[in-house]
Parts: sequence; C-alpha cells; structure tokens
Amino acid sequence: MSAVIAAKTAAPETATSKVAPPRPPRKRASALWKHKALYLMAVPGILYFLVFKYAPMGGLVIAFQDYMPFLGIGGSPWVGFDHFVRFFTEDTFVVLLRNTVVISLLLLVFSFPVPIILALLLNEVRTKVFQRSVQTVIYLPHFMSWVIVASIFYVLLSTDGGAVNNLIVEWGGEPIPFLTDPDWLRPLYVGQEIWKGAGWGTIVYLAAMTAVDTQLYEAAELDGANRLRQTWHITLPAIRPTIIVMFILAIGDFLELGFEHMFLVMNSLNRSVGDIFDTYVYTTGIENGQLSYAAAVGLFKGLVGLILVIMANRLAKRFGEEGVY
Amino acid sequence: MRRGMFVKGAATAAVAALALTACGNSGSGEEAEADTGPVTWMAMLHTPTTPEKDGVIETALEEHTGQKFDMQWVPDASKEEKINSALASGSLADIVSLTVTDSTQVRQALGSGQFWDVEKYLADYPNLSKIDPDTVEAAKLDGKLYGVPFQKIKARYGVLVRQDWLDNLGLETPHTIEDLTKVAEAFATKDPDGNGKDDTTGFIDREESFLVGFRSLTGYFGAGDKFEVTDDGQVVPAFTTDAFKQAMEWYRGVYEKGGVNQEFVTVQKQNQQDAIAQGKGGIVVTGLFEAKNYLALAESADPKTPMKWALVNDMRTADVEHRILTDTGGGMGGWLAFPKTEVKSEAELEKILTFVDKLMDEEAFALMTNGVEGTHYEIDGDGVVTITDQTSWEQEVQPFSSSRPSEKVVTYKSSTPYVDEANELMKENEEFVVINPAQSLSSDTFDRQWSTIEQQVNDAYNQYITGQIEMADYEAVIEGLRGQGLDAIIEEYTAAYAKVNG
Repeated sequence: MSAVIAAKTAAPETATSKVAPPRPPRKRASALWKHKALYLMAVPGILYFLVFKYAPMGGLVIAFQDYMPFLGIGGSPWVGFDHFVRFFTEDTFVVLLRNTVVISLLLLVFSFPVPIILALLLNEVRTKVFQRSVQTVIYLPHFMSWVIVASIFYVLLSTDGGAVNNLIVEWGGEPIPFLTDPDWLRPLYVGQEIWKGAGWGTIVYLAAMTAVDTQLYEAAELDGANRLRQTWHITLPAIRPTIIVMFILAIGDFLELGFEHMFLVMNSLNRSVGDIFDTYVYTTGIENGQLSYAAAVGLFKGLVGLILVIMANRLAKRFGEEGVY
Repeated sequence: MRRGMFVKGAATAAVAALALTACGNSGSGEEAEADTGPVTWMAMLHTPTTPEKDGVIETALEEHTGQKFDMQWVPDASKEEKINSALASGSLADIVSLTVTDSTQVRQALGSGQFWDVEKYLADYPNLSKIDPDTVEAAKLDGKLYGVPFQKIKARYGVLVRQDWLDNLGLETPHTIEDLTKVAEAFATKDPDGNGKDDTTGFIDREESFLVGFRSLTGYFGAGDKFEVTDDGQVVPAFTTDAFKQAMEWYRGVYEKGGVNQEFVTVQKQNQQDAIAQGKGGIVVTGLFEAKNYLALAESADPKTPMKWALVNDMRTADVEHRILTDTGGGMGGWLAFPKTEVKSEAELEKILTFVDKLMDEEAFALMTNGVEGTHYEIDGDGVVTITDQTSWEQEVQPFSSSRPSEKVVTYKSSTPYVDEANELMKENEEFVVINPAQSLSSDTFDRQWSTIEQQVNDAYNQYITGQIEMADYEAVIEGLRGQGLDAIIEEYTAAYAKVNG
C-alpha cells in the first residue's frame, strides 16, 4: 500500500520536470535544489525504508549459511544452496505449496470481490445516515487483532459447549468439529478473512465511486437506464482502475498469507491442510531453531511474490491499464 | 536489530561508566560491589500478570541479598520462542532461566560455550555446595555444568479425581487404570454433578497432552520417561514402545466413549484450568500440588463450590509395578545460566553466584514461597502457614515461586487444604520415580532434530486419539522418521549409554 502512495506522490514531480524547458548540464542538481522542500519531506520516509526494510535484508545471507547465533553472520560456515535443495526435495514442500496456493486462490475468488460488491451496494443506499452507520459497523472487525477474532470463533464453534454446536445439537443435529476437522479449516479461514477485512476494503472503492461524474448518471437515466444498468455501465467501469490496482497488490501478496491468522486457527488435527509457508517458517525457524533453513524458505516465498507482482503488472499494462508502477 | 543492539550497548556502557564512578567514590572493598548496576534476570512467568517492578518481594529480596536486580519476565506459554529468539539475537540478561531442558536451541547454545561453566565455583558457596550430586550430574551436558540447576521435587505428578463426584455416584477412589476408566465413563455419562444436564466429562486434557498429561499416564503402562533402555541395551524413545502404544489404545477408547474432552487439541493451559474450575470434567493428570489451585479458582467463582479432590499417586495397571515418571527431569528443572556476553568477568560471575546462593537461604525462600509475613501470610506456633491475602499473594509472590533456585529448602505446613497432603504424596513418589536414561547423554542428532521429530509424533498422536488415523498410520509416521534422524539418535544414545555403563 505504501508503495502505491509513494508512486502517487512521485508522479506530480516528474510531470513538472517534463514541463520545465530544457536546461544545460546542471539541470538535475538545480532541479534537486528547486524542489528541496519536497525532497526534505521525503527524507523521513526514505530513511524509514532504508533502516527498517533495506538494511535488515542483509540478514538474508544466512539462507546460504549454516547460521549459528553464537558465531554470528561473520563466523558461520557457508553452505551455498544446500537449504534450498533440502527444501525443494522434502515432501513438505508439495504440501506447503498446495496449502498456500489453495488458500490464496480461495481468498482471491471469495474474499477479493466482497468489498467491491459491498461498496456497490452501499453506494446505492439513499439514506446517508443508514449508509454511514452500516459503513462504521462493518469497519469495526478490522480493528480487532487476529487473537481476538480467533478467540471469538473458538468460543462460538467449539464442540465442548460452543454456542453454534449447542444450537445444532438443540435442533437434533450432530455437533460439527469446525475447529479440528481439516475440511472445515479453509472455509473457516476464508470466512474469518472476509468478516475481518471486507468492511475496511470498501473504503478505497467508495472513495473511487465519489469521483464519478453525476452527470453521467443523469444522462443514463434520461436514456432509460435502470439502477442495475447504471451500475454496470457507469460505476463499474469508473472504478475499474482501482479494482485492477487492488488486484495486482493482492497478487503480490499471493503467497504472503501472513503467519498470525493461520497460526491461531491451526492445530495438530488440521495441520495437514493448514500448514503454509509462513507457519512453516515459524515452526522450523523459531521453534526448532533451524534459522538458516527457515530463512531460505522465506526468501523463496518472497521471490515468488516479487515475480507474481511483476507479471501481474505487465499483464495489466498490456490490457491498457495503468498498473501500480 | 543492529541499531537496537547499538543503543543497548551504549546504554550498558553508560551504566558501566556510572558504576565505575560509584566504585571510585566509595573506595575499595566488598561493599562497593553491591553498588554496581542491577543484575538482570530473564525468568518464566506462570501467572497472567507480572508483579509490579520494585514491588514488595523484589525489594525484600534485594535487602536480603544486598544486590539490586531487575526481572525480565517471559510468559511461560511463549517461553520457547522468546528464549530461542533471545539466544539467536544475543539479547540476554545476566541470569537466564532455561527451563526447557531438551530444546534443540538451548542445548546448542549451552554446548557452544556461550555460558559460564560454574562447576568449580559451586564449592565456594554455602548453599550451592549442598546441591544434590545426582541433580548436578543430571544437569551436566558433556560433563560440563553450564549453569546452576533448578532443584525440584523429582516426581510431582499424579491423578486428581473429583471426590465429591465419586461420592455422588457411589464410586470408590480409583487406584488402577481399570477403575479409572470406569470412573471416566461414569463422569461422562451419569451426570456426576447432578444438575440434570449432560455437560460433564472425565479427563480434562489440553493441547500438550502428548508431552504432559498423557505422557505421565504412559508411565503406569510401563513406558519410560521420554527414553528407555530395552533388554538388549538400546536407548529408544518411549513413544516407540509397546507400552506407550498400549496406553494410546486405552486412551483412545476412553476418548471414544466421551471420557476425555473432545477438543483437547485446541485447549490451552488457561482454558483447561477454567474448565476444571467450572466443573466440566472430573479427572486431571497433573502435578499433585495443583489441587489447591483448582479449588482456589473454583472458589473465586463460587464460594460455595462443592469441589473436593482425591489425590492419587499410586495409579497402576495390573501387571506393571508401581512407578511414576519424573516431570522435572529427575529433580533438575533447567538451569540458571550466565551468558559470557553479559557476565564478562569472573568477578561479575562471583557476584551473581553470591546472589543466587543467597536466594537459597531460608529467608529468601520464604519470601518467594509465602511472601511477607503479616502482609501475605501468617504462621502459627506449629509452623502452619496460612495465606491471608490470596489476591495479593497471587499478584506479588506467586510469580517468583517458579524462579526459586531450589524448591526443596523448606516444606511448610499449610492450612490451605490439599497442600500438606500433596507434599506428602510427592515425597512418596520419589521412591518410585523413573528418570530418562538419556538425559545426561549427548547426541548431536538429538540436539539438531529432536524438536522436529517430536512435533511430528505429537501430531500423529493427536490424530490417533481423535480417530483421524489408525495405529498402523501412527507406526508409519515413526517409521518415516527413522530416516530423518530417529535411528541416528537411537544409535548415538545407545553408544553413549554403553560407554557410561560399561
């Protein structure tokens, strides 16, 4: 997200430098000087990225070492691609890849469109008070941490006295082991993602919709288009660039499911479908102390993510959209 | 990370500089030593909240030992990742409590010489010199003692059964696995709390069943403590033995009849305690000392709770002799280790050892066990201790009790129900204790691979008990692990065992 903002803020600058008349050799330095205030304002951001995002990347070299904490990066022996070879040849690789890809796909298919649909629906609401209050209510889950979300669902879904299972039993059904049955893990995970994130996700689409020229709707109405037609032919095309940017960003996070959520809903009974790259990095690296191996797995995941973003962006450009950079 | 270390380094340097000036001012000698910066101590927290910094107990201990100290609490539930990342990043304290004795990371760190070898110093201190030689031996790694061992009672585990439920159903207190099975089923099906609802079960187990509760039960079937020596001299993990599998088959049977809480694999320690306090189940395999805690918890919710516990320390199966697996590594609950990065000189080490030694004085032990007389507890003519302010004891004293270097300094008589009884029964346990024969042996593969292997077997165990897989699948998992280091561990341990035992 921050990358997008950075790109957007950078855009006006390039525009002005293009408009400026051609200058002799020292033009770059003077341009720098001319916009000194702008650059000065960028300094904290740049520093932030250098210190917290780029400097720690140096630590990635441990993926090619047999890293031992007491020897440090300087003293640990180098092992080349050993960790990568081990990772790609172990059975767990296939399982992890399958679990991660399946859940990512499910999220793209089920979770990604929800904010768009929600935003379209909200956009059609006439009473402003109702619209605002609905918006506020659906934002709320975003501010809860995964620990809270997982705990709420735990209390609701447990078979040992959970509310939902109590209801099922009351109505004569068999209790469903939502929390431990491997078949329930994916629906549960996607459902929680939607519950927590959908409301917050509408913000960006609603903002895009406010930019639509109201005259277009009036013209369409005169032509006899009903609400559905207006949505289909005006609102949706208007927010298409936004949808595409969001989609590219979602693709970039394709393998980046995040550790916290899965860690909280996973247990030894549903680990077979729940273990993803992030949780695997945690268990091998932090719990079992194989720091180098975990770093190699993490590096692999990051590289795949990078490739996916670049590909998605190219694709978007080919279809005549703007992309993220 | 780098930057954080720099800041910390700078802070340490500043503190050191201050300390030096302090020394200069007060002249020479031993008094000055007490004036140097506070000793930092990374310790486990078993309670939900941390005690106040510079609170009553801390101040009193500082007074007694003449040494200022700061506690860095690590929640016990997340100790593995906290300690592992602290070891990996080198951000340690002067004293580090290492309580997970079989963790790969901890053993690697100890073996690498990151910590002081303290054996030769122990003799110089009145209390440290008196540590049970067996415990010292158990605490050694490759013949070196990389820290002061936590001295614990050798076997604290037993089976707690709701006596009031037994009475309601007209059942006898179980002392055999057969009877325990019947009790578990009766608790699950016969409404032992008499509220007319089907809302109770037998065993209340938790996520760590394989490592804690169930593990203790396998002892009654004849399985060893983590490892055992076979008739032909092989050192094998207990979970590969027939006795262990027999116990699994039995436990699954109980589980299928509803005698174990059905989703124990999702239950955390705190949930488990709540469930017990709320009377959701009537059997717990745990430390015998827990009975009083469960009662206190139940009473805090309902002062009129009918809860009564039977403490059983002699559970048996028909053809296996009386035995109990140690839950404290044979009285060794880990190490108080002193990293060389923090404790830089011998003089500093001696200062810290003096501090630890004084914590084992009776007075310090009383502070960390009962608190301050008059504030937290009262003691009568017969030496019976009564905790008078349970809430402040829980907040201010209890956190320190798990950091006592020795739990065996004094056994107080208590007016709290079940305390004396539990102490008595735990003492009886000592005679029947079974200790891991591989504990002080060393195996490189164990240090590297054990955590991974154990986790996979743990998963397979959970899947078997809950009926997701069958015994053949469990055995297949173990067979699969043989190539991943299990066989190497057995081989290395067997060789090391043969060497030690001729």
